[in-house]
Amino acid sequence: MSADELYDAVIVGAGVAGALTAKYLTRAGFRVLVLEAGPATAESYSGYTKHIEHFYAANSKGPESAWPPDANAPQPDTSDLRNNNGYFVQNGPNLYGSSYSRVQGGSTLHWLGVSLRMLPEDFMLRTRYGVGRDWPLSYDDLEPYYRKAEREIGVSADVADQHYHELSFPNGYDYPMQRVPLSYSDQQLATAVDGMSVILGEEPVALKIRSYPAARNSIPRGDYKPVGAVEVQADGRVNELTFGQRCAGNTSCTPVCPIQAKYNAGKTLAQADRGKLQVLAQAVASKINIDKASGTVQSITYQRYDGTSHTTHQAKARVYVLAAHAVENAKLMLASGLHGQSNLVGKTLMDHPALYAWGLTAEPIGAYRGPLSTAGIEELRAGQFRARHAAFRFDIGNDGWRASTGAPDTTVADAVIKHNLFGKKLYDQLASQLSRQVRFSLAVEQLPDPANSVSIDPRYLDPLGNPRPVINYRIDEYTLAGMAAATKVYQQMFRQARITDCSTGESGWFPSVAYGDSIFHYHGMGHFSGTHAMGNNPSNSVVNTEQRSWEHRNLYLIGSGTFPTMGTSNPTLTLSALAIRTAEHLIAELKG
Amino acid sequence: MERTESFIGLSMALTGFGRLQLLGTSMASEYLRTLSDLLPEGVLEELLVAYDRVPTGNSHDAAVAGQILGDAKLGPVARNLILLWYTGSWSALPDAWRAAYGASVLDISRVISAESYQAGLQWVVAGAHPAGAQQQGFGAWSLAPERGVL
Repeated sequence: MSADELYDAVIVGAGVAGALTAKYLTRAGFRVLVLEAGPATAESYSGYTKHIEHFYAANSKGPESAWPPDANAPQPDTSDLRNNNGYFVQNGPNLYGSSYSRVQGGSTLHWLGVSLRMLPEDFMLRTRYGVGRDWPLSYDDLEPYYRKAEREIGVSADVADQHYHELSFPNGYDYPMQRVPLSYSDQQLATAVDGMSVILGEEPVALKIRSYPAARNSIPRGDYKPVGAVEVQADGRVNELTFGQRCAGNTSCTPVCPIQAKYNAGKTLAQADRGKLQVLAQAVASKINIDKASGTVQSITYQRYDGTSHTTHQAKARVYVLAAHAVENAKLMLASGLHGQSNLVGKTLMDHPALYAWGLTAEPIGAYRGPLSTAGIEELRAGQFRARHAAFRFDIGNDGWRASTGAPDTTVADAVIKHNLFGKKLYDQLASQLSRQVRFSLAVEQLPDPANSVSIDPRYLDPLGNPRPVINYRIDEYTLAGMAAATKVYQQMFRQARITDCSTGESGWFPSVAYGDSIFHYHGMGHFSGTHAMGNNPSNSVVNTEQRSWEHRNLYLIGSGTFPTMGTSNPTLTLSALAIRTAEHLIAELKG
Repeated sequence: MERTESFIGLSMALTGFGRLQLLGTSMASEYLRTLSDLLPEGVLEELLVAYDRVPTGNSHDAAVAGQILGDAKLGPVARNLILLWYTGSWSALPDAWRAAYGASVLDISRVISAESYQAGLQWVVAGAHPAGAQQQGFGAWSLAPERGVL
């Protein structure tokens, strides 16, 4: 198959949304071209191994550390926040703290794997609490697709743990795999915390440390077969490797699972009908070409690069699916002069700005072992208080203070350089400290605000001449009040669990934001969303419930950019459910 | 005393780890070479000779503290050697030290190698394993931690 041929679908982006679409369409017999801006370096196992080695030797062990960008497809990096000199042109007033990767497999190569469903009330925030906007879909509309997504990406959980805040599942349903075992740390903390009451708004809330659904392989249920490490060989043949069928506790879901026991989109691409699929890596979509009279897409222009040279091509298909990421989808639309009739393309950018809280437990909890986290606190995600401030979710780390302070290295440096310890005293001090380190992430909801946006500016271009994203971003009172409430809850919880609070704002690159007398040091969760939101009419949205562009009938924009609001769940499971729903719609369209 | 022997002895005194554990990391010769390559001429020899002169017995630790860690020239190098063993990374020496005793282009903060990262003693002392390597197996994280053994 040559790229000049007419395909049934052209998909821009080989991340989770694009891969699911490609798998569904090719298996239904349709011919698909996937254009991936980044390199395909993780496709073979030898290539994947080089990324692991890169992580080992990297000075910074951040989320991007295993995935260096190609200059032709640049990407944001959280370390750029120190000097605000990265891929993003950040206009403020606050810094957008998240990153993503442009590589075949997308950011699932370094995601944590948290696969929570959104809550039923998250779909009707406006109706319930008078804030944000309602989705044009309900939880019940999406529920069957959540089940499909949980099977596609391989989610481990016990449904018995997941009944809270009106979450419902059909009778007899359970997840494809048993829950990932709770860490020793989770168990010890649960003993201290479970059942304690905190006040949110005016309501008492009883806290519970709970296993969350994770796209990490565990013990399968029924006929489900966990998908371990896979590679696509140079000749296109798929090779299933003999490891990764269970999580083995590498404690590095982010930035790289060395055995691929955690889901990544490469697994889904490998499951497509490879005879119907062509994937072009190092192919940057640069323009969507529209027929002015009808508004339909005629082709997508893309640039294939190799080193410092590139060639320009056109891809043609019956339908076009943008699955390049919330920011890259918006950027490509704007670069093509497509703002949407409501002018909402790129607007209402959201994230889950998050705070770290960290401390020392009274007894050893066995930090630095297991998946990066295995439990969270979900009780804080819903309630009447949402009329006044943001909801939030706590995630409990199993990796000591790594994310918040750069430990264990910084703990060692502190003992050696500041306290001048050596020999047995040094050993004893570190043994006592490291195994008692615990860290919570307090991820806070953010509402859609038209002032928060991705735009483009001809002054800011990348090496191929494509625009760099210009970000305007502000954390509003609603979210700041949520941060204040989250802070109170963690402080109460630390007292109850006898955790010595060691949280300071001094360390690292964290941007800060003031609220009353407080300064919050926050980071992003990588949960970009809202940039091509779904709605029930063209005046309030960019796409309809099928993720189909209102103006361009053969164009679909998929991914978390579609979310009208984001609730408090990590977006990958929901965007996967939406991608599957759209893929089924596309199959019907293409057949018709 | 033979150079490598002095280096191992010094490293034992500084890190609190035993000979077998240090040799078991397979990093000793690489770390010795790292120091040799980046320290100004003669500093490494001075450090090893200073350690050879430290008396054994009850006054050993006090002598290490006073004659090595307390020495303006040798102290920062010795502390960096501790960090190297524990983390697998070299930390650039303080500017004042470089001004006084000499600078090297190799004296920059960096992970020495993919192997040194995995060999960091910090993971052992934590009762854990290096993130991304030496996996402990499905469910091991749900058991109480074992304390590393000196």
